[in-house]
Amino acid sequence: MARRSWVRPGGLRRRLVVAFVLVAAISGGALAIASFLLVRQARLQGSVNARAVEARQDLRLAVAITHREATEFVRAYERTGTHAVLAFPGRTSVPSNPQVNPAIPDTLRSIVRQGKLGYERFEVSGKPYLVLGGEVRSSAAQLYLLFDESSLQGNLIQLRNTLAIAWLAVALLAALIGNALARRTLEPVARASEAARLMAQGRLETRLPAGPPDEFGAWAAAFNQMADALQVKIAELVAAQDRERRFTANVAHELRTPLAALVAEASVLSEQESQIPAPARRPVELLIADVRRLRTLVDELMEISRLDARSEPVHWHEVNVASIAAALISARGWQDRVAVSGGALTLSTDARRLERILANLIGNAIEHSGRDVAVRTGAEGDTCRVEVADGGPGIPAEHLPHVFERFYKADSARTSAGSGLGLAIALENARLLGGTITMTSDVRRGSVFRLSLPLGPPPSGDHPPASQAAL
Amino acid sequence: MDERLLLVEDDASIREIVSIGLSAAGFRLITAEDGRDGLAKARAGSFDVVILDVMLPSMDGFEVCREIRKFSRVPVVMLTARADLVDVVVGLESGADDYVKKPFELPELVARLRAVLRRTFAPAQAALILASALEIDPAGFTVRKNGEEVTLTATEFRLLLELARRPGQVFTRELLLQRVWDYEYLGDSHLVDVAIGRLRAKVEDDPSHPALIKTIRGVGYRLDRT
Repeated sequence: MARRSWVRPGGLRRRLVVAFVLVAAISGGALAIASFLLVRQARLQGSVNARAVEARQDLRLAVAITHREATEFVRAYERTGTHAVLAFPGRTSVPSNPQVNPAIPDTLRSIVRQGKLGYERFEVSGKPYLVLGGEVRSSAAQLYLLFDESSLQGNLIQLRNTLAIAWLAVALLAALIGNALARRTLEPVARASEAARLMAQGRLETRLPAGPPDEFGAWAAAFNQMADALQVKIAELVAAQDRERRFTANVAHELRTPLAALVAEASVLSEQESQIPAPARRPVELLIADVRRLRTLVDELMEISRLDARSEPVHWHEVNVASIAAALISARGWQDRVAVSGGALTLSTDARRLERILANLIGNAIEHSGRDVAVRTGAEGDTCRVEVADGGPGIPAEHLPHVFERFYKADSARTSAGSGLGLAIALENARLLGGTITMTSDVRRGSVFRLSLPLGPPPSGDHPPASQAAL
Repeated sequence: MDERLLLVEDDASIREIVSIGLSAAGFRLITAEDGRDGLAKARAGSFDVVILDVMLPSMDGFEVCREIRKFSRVPVVMLTARADLVDVVVGLESGADDYVKKPFELPELVARLRAVLRRTFAPAQAALILASALEIDPAGFTVRKNGEEVTLTATEFRLLLELARRPGQVFTRELLLQRVWDYEYLGDSHLVDVAIGRLRAKVEDDPSHPALIKTIRGVGYRLDRT
């Protein structure tokens, strides 16, 4: 079914949860990133400011220092945990610690050369340093102080990690809360769709519980109103259909008694035909034929009303479809017009009903085609197939959907011997036996009716107890 | 010919046309309009066949049939207005030998009556047949069980005789319908099943666990001599 294709149960809930998580993650993430950047900026700037004070003091201490005094001067820094480098133009730099002797970047050098206090951050042998530099007055030297910022960077990394974990926790929490909320919000929807499904299955008494007086509550009330209306309407329809069926059954039944007399009387008349005076003979013949027609009609009305009432018993036995076909054809004197082909095929079914179906299909084919009829039997998987094909004029396409309808006649002006119920009865019987009948028609090749019946017996529950009672 | 028939039928038209048709076919017919009258006539006279309509005022056909069985084994043919299985089975269980569905043509009824009557003629084979505790005398139309006479209707007797002639052989329902009821084609297997049930009730020691007439599932019935 087409409507199944776009229904994905849970899709809406998933979308709600995703939206919830996205909102929480984006806003939480933006907040975390912004506060991290602010804190980082403040901490780094604060560190530079504090170190700058220190550096200015040290630059004053180093006024007029010479290359010879340099080693002594910088060594003092090692004791405070800071490293220093004194750079003399044209000569080698003098580091406080030979291991911490970075090449001072040109950008920093050029700032310092302009007489300003400059700083830059870079790593020296794997450690983050804040490097501040300035020109020493009355000397060609430049003093660079290297402050280890490992702990500051470590703090910042810790802050970043904490924020990231908090952000993940918020997203997860949002997912959980979103899921729970979505579930609760959508629960009435799930209930309503379950209720609608039950109603579609025929459980018309299904109702939704009256919820709180919100939108869903109003919806549930409207749904229940609809269900009430539907139930009443369907009950009315069923009752009307029942009345109609009972009426048909009663009419057929009431016709039976006078018909029984008519049939017996006509049969006696028919036996006495030779003694009937010539002028009355033709009317008597017509009378007898019309009584037969009436009998067929009433029989078929009775049969179809019994099929409608589902009161028809089915007697399952192993039967051979080909021999049933052959027997009914010879019993009706159709041998010259009907050819049976296909092997002997045994199936478990009701012999009388199978005979009825085949007789109706073959009789219909003979009557409407006016040609010879071919009956083919065969098995396909666990299905028995019987084809009844005529080489007749076929049925015009506009009549095809109606051929199994009761009293439907393709040509309304045409009076045919059939009651107009034959194919409907055949189809109902086929359904009763767990099968069906389909047909195709072609104006050149004629009509083909195909009967399909299960080869095996029905599930044991389908056995009507009456068929076993007499065993 | 000249068999005496009793027709119990409430519909005047059917009663009259069946009288005309059966008289023309050579039967002598007595008619009754309702169940009570029919039963009284069946008790008073002797008939070769009783034809009973199911739907009768005062007393329905099944009940009349059950009453008749209390004093007579005369063949009974039921006329069932409905083709309902229940009607057919109830009719047969009340002791009817055969049934004809309404509406019927006279030749159909005549054929059924002749078939029923044939069963009451003594069969050609006359030798006594012994089957476990049973002693079947085809000529005398009697069955004795442990020396005591068992009352069987003509149909039940024919059925037993058919089975007992070839003990150990399985008879399909179709074959029995042909041999006992004279149905050529698609007879009603309930005729066989119900008659077997009635027969068992009369000849078996324990009819719910038959030792003599066995059901062969999906095939038919068989009589075991021992």
